[in-house]
Amino acid sequence: MSKAITADAIIIGGGVAGLSTAMQLAGRGAKVIVLERERIGNGSTGRAAGLLGQLRGNAEHTRMLMDGVEIVRELEKQAGVEIFVPTGSLRIAETPERAEEIAALVAMGKSIGFEIDHASADEVSRMLPYMRTDDLLDACYSPTDGHIQPAELVSAYLKIGKARGVEYRTHTPVVQILLDGDRVRGVRATDGEYHADVVVNAGGPWSYLNAELADAVLPTAAIGHYYLTTRPDPAHPVDRLSPAIRDRHLRLYTRPESGGLIVGIYDPEPELHDMRRLPVDFDMSRMKAARDSIQVAQLLDAANRRFPWIDGRTPMSITTGIMTFTPDARPFCGKMPDIDGLYHCSGFSGHGIVQSPTIGLIMSQLILDGESTYDCESIEADRYFDVPGYVNRVEIEEKCVRMAGNYYGGVERPRPVASGSR
Amino acid sequence: MKILVPTKRVPDTDQKIVASADGLRVETDHIPHVINPFDAIAVEEAVRISERLRDVEVVAVGIGGPEYEQPLRTALAMGAARGIIVQCAKPLDPWNVSRLLKAIVERETPDLVLMGKQAVDDDANQTGQFLAALLDWPQATFASRLEFIGNELRVDRETDHGIETLTLTLPALVTTDLRLNEPRYASMAGIMKARKKPLETIAAGELGVPLEPRVEVIRYRSGDTRRAGERLASLDEFAALIAQAAGIGG
Ligand SMILES: Cc1cc2nc3c(=O)[nH]c(=O)nc-3n(C[C@H](O)[C@H](O)[C@H](O)COP(=O)(O)OP(=O)(O)OC[C@H]3O[C@@H](n4cnc5c(N)ncnc54)[C@H](O)[C@@H]3O)c2cc1C
Repeated sequence: MSKAITADAIIIGGGVAGLSTAMQLAGRGAKVIVLERERIGNGSTGRAAGLLGQLRGNAEHTRMLMDGVEIVRELEKQAGVEIFVPTGSLRIAETPERAEEIAALVAMGKSIGFEIDHASADEVSRMLPYMRTDDLLDACYSPTDGHIQPAELVSAYLKIGKARGVEYRTHTPVVQILLDGDRVRGVRATDGEYHADVVVNAGGPWSYLNAELADAVLPTAAIGHYYLTTRPDPAHPVDRLSPAIRDRHLRLYTRPESGGLIVGIYDPEPELHDMRRLPVDFDMSRMKAARDSIQVAQLLDAANRRFPWIDGRTPMSITTGIMTFTPDARPFCGKMPDIDGLYHCSGFSGHGIVQSPTIGLIMSQLILDGESTYDCESIEADRYFDVPGYVNRVEIEEKCVRMAGNYYGGVERPRPVASGSR
Repeated sequence: MKILVPTKRVPDTDQKIVASADGLRVETDHIPHVINPFDAIAVEEAVRISERLRDVEVVAVGIGGPEYEQPLRTALAMGAARGIIVQCAKPLDPWNVSRLLKAIVERETPDLVLMGKQAVDDDANQTGQFLAALLDWPQATFASRLEFIGNELRVDRETDHGIETLTLTLPALVTTDLRLNEPRYASMAGIMKARKKPLETIAAGELGVPLEPRVEVIRYRSGDTRRAGERLASLDEFAALIAQAAGIGG
């Protein structure tokens, strides 16, 4: 390719973040090209379980997730696929601390009109006959939660994006970000230059390396994650609409999958990956867990405590992949102060599938309008810009790993003496 | 009863593997290595036997450099009782592997050798057969089911013509096929215990087996790694393709 190709926006990365952003930008008339180093959806997106729990500690995040479901409903209509599976979700508590957490959650949900209520152990065991419930102190049920099927979401983004004129180039790694002083001019990929005033770094776990191409620091780290999927077992049928479960004490989440059960874990000592050391043509769908993987063993031990019929000999498959964590488990969406036109959209900390519908909308607003209809303070890309302690890789990784390790664990650590309010 | 399970460390063949530029070796350094999948099946079967019957000791053995500790620890975590590494820096062909294994069998005097039908890196499918012949033991290859009946071992083998059932007297050698079992993932307790299980290292030279290479690798060449498949965006597209191929509709 000799002559550079021009567009309004170049998106680096064909995962849900890049695809959603591309679709939204094209919906407002922009000419968009998505450049993907492997195949579409070969990064974290292709490995995800897709669990959607809408109620978050932060009210604006809850609004983003609830609106995301609306967007998904619209995508389902336009693309003619089923994306969202409304199973409902349960949070369970087996310790007093977790029970307190649930009480607070129910109160918070109700205060903003989110459908949620306590559920007794009996109710829980009726809903989930395959789960151990005799040790539960409390539980809460949210009927409007569920999961998003990642492959179907990707196919809807693609179908609608294509109809709007988005161009997708696979097996096309971006190797350079072209700058003109403090302005972005485009990128160089393995097949030549692409010129645009807007470049979006939606590189998932690779996004910190993409940022480095522009001498920018993106405080994210690539974290290993594991879940198991049992094969359907007539002795323990899992209905396709069985509620998702979150058991923060055991660090587990579950959802139904093809008659079996997905059980995933937020490992207290997560694996850190160095994306630079992976081969250029690294294919995340080929990642595999060893028969004696510590992470799998931990997952199995925890799963066995909640589902006594699951152990290392249960017919199952193990899925492992890499997700992108940030020091506060919130994504980075937007620009850094020192480079114009270069937008980041990454760091979804295990929630990118379900955040992507609204995040794509937010990105298109930030890019085309310079501001969003959402309060983006907590997800601004520059919130750690030049902040001491968040500059070099070692310290960044240490903080992200700690966040990932504490992700479900929070409550178990000793807390400061209560100051009256919570 | 004692069961000896030979294991091999192989590159994960689901990864992209290429030959080096000079064709003299396969580039596997950047690729994760695993216990040969057929050997994992052999370990699983041996461990299941030890869980079912009394007084069964499962001994895993590997031949190679210090990196062989990894597949042996996997076997120990899955439930083998102890491991033996036969230290040997040279790459070996199946003939010499079976000769070294014969020396180990003579030291350990197992009742059963249970091993993978082949290693997925070279797919030679020879070592078990050589070893049985060297020992002059009955052998059953490609086992899909094992059962002890009294002092005999009944084995179903998968052949091109269907399932063949053999009865072997012990000591015997059995090689495992894919459908024999589904290997377990080790538990945390299994992994912790494995760290304390004995792992003995023996220098190949101590076994008194002069190596006599019979196979020389002349050249490796990468095959066409492109898969014929294509990724489709939706079920609809898939259905349309199928319909087209079948000559229905569109
Ligand atoms: C095992 C597992 C389970 C998960 N479960 C859930 C869940 O239940 N719910 C949920 O919401 N989320 C879940 N996630 C997280 C979710 O997968 C991610 O948050 C989401 O997929 C992130 O999307 P992304 O587009 O940012 O990144 P990715 O999907 O990784 O996409 C980034 C893409 O950019 C490409 N790329 C990077 N650099 C370049 C370059 N220089 N040039 C060209 N292309 C480039 C990559 O190849 C990749 O395809 C899970 C993740 C894992 C690993």
